[in-house]
Amino acid sequence: MRPFLSTACAASALALTMLTAACGAGVGSTAPGDGQAAPVSKAPELGAGEKVSIVFESYNFGQAGAWTDTFNELIGAFHKAHPDITVTAQKPQGNSANPATDTISSLQSQMSVGKPPDVVQLGFSDLDFTVNQLKALPLDDLVGKDVVQKNFDGAKYPFAERARTLGDWNGKTYGVPFVFSTPMLYFNSALFEQAGLDPAKPPATWAEVAEAAKAIKEKTGKDGAYVDCLTKAAKDWCFQALVRSNGGRVISEDRTKLTFAEPQVTEVVTAMQAMVKDGAMPNRTQMQAVEAFARGDLGMILESSALQGTFAKGAGEKWKLGAAAMPGFEGKPAVPTNSGAALFVFAKEPAKQRAAWELITFLTSEQAYTTIATKIGYLPLRTGLVDDPAALKPWADANPYLKPNLEQLARMEPWVSMPGPNYLQIRDGMMEAVESAVFQGADPASTLTAKQGELAKLLPGGRG
Amino acid sequence: MVTGAFVEVPPAAQAAGGAADAPPAGARSRAPWRALWRRAVRLAPPYLFLAPALVLLVVWTYRPLAQTFYLSFFSWNLVPDVPMVPVGTANYERLLTTPDLADSVGLTFVVIVAMLPFTLVLPVVVALLTRRVRGRAAAAYRALIFAPMLVAPVAGAAVWQWLLDPSAGIVNTLLGTGTNWLNSVDTSLWAIIAITGWHVAGFAVLVVSAGLTGINPDYAAAAQVDGASRGQITRWVTLPLLSPTLAFLLLMTVLLSAQWTFPLIDTLTQGGPVGSTTTVYYLLWEYGFRSHDAGLAAAAGVLFFAGFMLVASLLARISDRLSRYDD
Repeated sequence: MRPFLSTACAASALALTMLTAACGAGVGSTAPGDGQAAPVSKAPELGAGEKVSIVFESYNFGQAGAWTDTFNELIGAFHKAHPDITVTAQKPQGNSANPATDTISSLQSQMSVGKPPDVVQLGFSDLDFTVNQLKALPLDDLVGKDVVQKNFDGAKYPFAERARTLGDWNGKTYGVPFVFSTPMLYFNSALFEQAGLDPAKPPATWAEVAEAAKAIKEKTGKDGAYVDCLTKAAKDWCFQALVRSNGGRVISEDRTKLTFAEPQVTEVVTAMQAMVKDGAMPNRTQMQAVEAFARGDLGMILESSALQGTFAKGAGEKWKLGAAAMPGFEGKPAVPTNSGAALFVFAKEPAKQRAAWELITFLTSEQAYTTIATKIGYLPLRTGLVDDPAALKPWADANPYLKPNLEQLARMEPWVSMPGPNYLQIRDGMMEAVESAVFQGADPASTLTAKQGELAKLLPGGRG
Repeated sequence: MVTGAFVEVPPAAQAAGGAADAPPAGARSRAPWRALWRRAVRLAPPYLFLAPALVLLVVWTYRPLAQTFYLSFFSWNLVPDVPMVPVGTANYERLLTTPDLADSVGLTFVVIVAMLPFTLVLPVVVALLTRRVRGRAAAAYRALIFAPMLVAPVAGAAVWQWLLDPSAGIVNTLLGTGTNWLNSVDTSLWAIIAITGWHVAGFAVLVVSAGLTGINPDYAAAAQVDGASRGQITRWVTLPLLSPTLAFLLLMTVLLSAQWTFPLIDTLTQGGPVGSTTTVYYLLWEYGFRSHDAGLAAAAGVLFFAGFMLVASLLARISDRLSRYDD
C-alpha cells in the first residue's frame, strides 16, 4: 500500500500548487521601493487615424438580459463614434452568482500576470484599495483637472452635485462615477391589493413594512419583505444606509475605528432580526430573493435600481411593479447611500490611456445615460436629462420608479469604503456577523461586538 | 512493487564486455577516464528515463511547495508592483488565534465522516447486489449508478439549486416543508454532503466492483463446498479479500472529500451561510483569491499540508495492517 502515501502527498500538495502556480512569478521578485507610484504623465491626444485597441471590464457584462444587451449597444455606439478605437468588452473572471463580487479578484489576477484591462468598472466600496493598492491612474494627471471637470459639466447637463466627487481620493479624481442607485423599496402591487393594502400608500417606516409584510403573508401565502442589505453577498452599501438612518456609522468618520457594535447599529440589526423571527422576512440568499420577487412570490424588496429592468421584465403583464423611497426608522429621516461603481483607468501605454478616457467620456455622456437609465434602471447621473423633452422627460413621466430615486440622490451620503489592504476581510466579516444575527438567529450585540474586536486588528496599524 | 533500486548488470557480463573491447596497449593512460565514462553511460538510461518525470515533479510540486513555505512569512496581496512585506510568524499566529481555521477543520472532519456511507457502505452493498445481476442488465445497472459522476459538478449544482429552492423547489414541494436548505446553518453542510455523495457514489461502486472482479471465485466455491452460507461467504471470504480496495477508498475519502465538495460549495453557498460550509480548501481559496492575502493563504496551506501528511501516513500504516492480500 506504499503508493498511497505518495498519492496522499500529491493530493495535499495540490492546494498549495494551485496557489503558487498562480503567483509563482511574484515570489522573489523585488518590488520597487516603498510602493510609491511614479508620477503619472499626461496622455497625449490621439493622432488622426491612429488605431488603438483597449479592453473594458465591467460586471454589467456578467449577466445576460438587460445588463449585457444595454452595454453591447453602448459599445456599438462608441465604435461608430470612434472608428479608430476598438473596444473589447469582457466580464470579470470568476463564477459568483453576482458578477459584481468578482471584480477585484479578477482585476488582481490579471494584474499579477502584468496585463490589467485598460478600463475597469469597480465598486465604490473598493475605492481606497483601488487607489492606494491597485494604483488606478489619477485622471487629473492623465488628462488634466480641467478636462475631467469639463466632462462632469457635460455638453448640456452636468452631473448631480453629490455624484461628482464619489470617485475622488484626497482631492484628486481617480474614477468617474458611472452607474449607481440608492436603496429603493420595490413592491408587487398585485400582492398589495390582495392583502388589502393600498399600493398608492407604500410603507414609509420599517414598522409599517413589517406590518404590511405580515398582512401579505397571512392573506396571500406569499413571502412579505426582503431587505437585500444584510448578507455578505449584498456587500455593505445599503446596510450603511440603514445604520445611518438610525444615527449610527459602521466606521468612524476618519476611518480609523470600527463602530458597528455601537447601540445604534445593534438596534438596526435587532429590528431586522425581529422581522425574520416574526415571519415578515423570509430567510433567503440574495439570488433567491431577487428571483422570488421577479417571479411574484415576494411582496417587497429593498434593492438597487440595477435590478429594476429584471423586475419589470418579471412582472410583465402579470402584476404591476411599484417603487417607493427607502423606509426610515420611526421619527428619524432615512439616509440613503449610493451603490454602484465608477470607471477607472489602468492602461499602461499613453495611447491606450487616452483611448480609455475617450471611452469613459462616451459612457458618461448624455447619450449613454439616456440608454442606461431607460434600459437598466440605474440613475441618470446627469439629472437635467429628465426635464428635457428630447431626452428622458417622456420616459420619466411614464416611469413612477424614477422620482423617489432622484429625490434620494439629492440627499444621499457616499458609500464609505473600508481602509487598508484587508478591507475585504473587514467588510465581509462585518456583513457575516450581521447575516448570522439577522438570518441565523445569533445574538446581535454579542455577535457584532466579538466580530468588531476580531476585525479591528485588520485595520491599518491595528496589528499590535 | 518497485523496490527503489535499479538492477545492476551482473559482474560476469561486465567482464565479458570488458574483454571484448580491451583497450590497445598504447591508450593505457586514458583508460581510467574511459572506464568512468563507460560506467556512466551504462548507468545513465534508467535515470534519463526518469528525468522528465522528476523535472516536472520538481517544477510543479516541490518548487511551489518551497515557495509557499517562503511566502507564508510575508504579507503580500499578489500584485506584482506591491512589495512583499516580511512579517515573521504573524500569519501563523493569526491563523491559530482566530476561530476561522479551527472551524473549517471541524467542518472538514464532519464532511469526511459523513462521506463514508456514500464511498464505503453504499458502494459495497450496491456492488454485492449488482454482482448477482448477469448479462446486459448488469452493464445497464452500473451505467445508471455511474451516471452522476459524468455530470459536471457545476452543472449538477445548478440543477440542485433549483431542486432545493425554498419556495419553488421540488424538494420542499414533496416534503411539504419551507426549509431553505442551502441558506440555513443547520442544513447547508448536509445538503452539500448529500449532493457530493450523489456525485461520487457511482465512482466508488465502480472501484468496489473492480475489486470484487479481482477476487478468485475458487475461494467462494471452496467455502460453499464446506457448507458456508452466502452471508458467511461474504463476511468471511469476500470482505477480507476486498479490504485493500476498501482501504484505498477510505484513504481517498479522507484526503479528497474536501476537494470533491469544493466546486459545489463554490457554486451553491460560497462558504455560507455564515461560514457554515467553509471547509479547509474553501478557506484557503478565500484567503488567497477572494481576500488576496497570499501570505495568510500560504501559511494556511502549509498547516493543511502538514496535517494531511500526518493523516495520510497514519492511514497508510493502518491500511497496511488491516489489509489482507490474496498472495
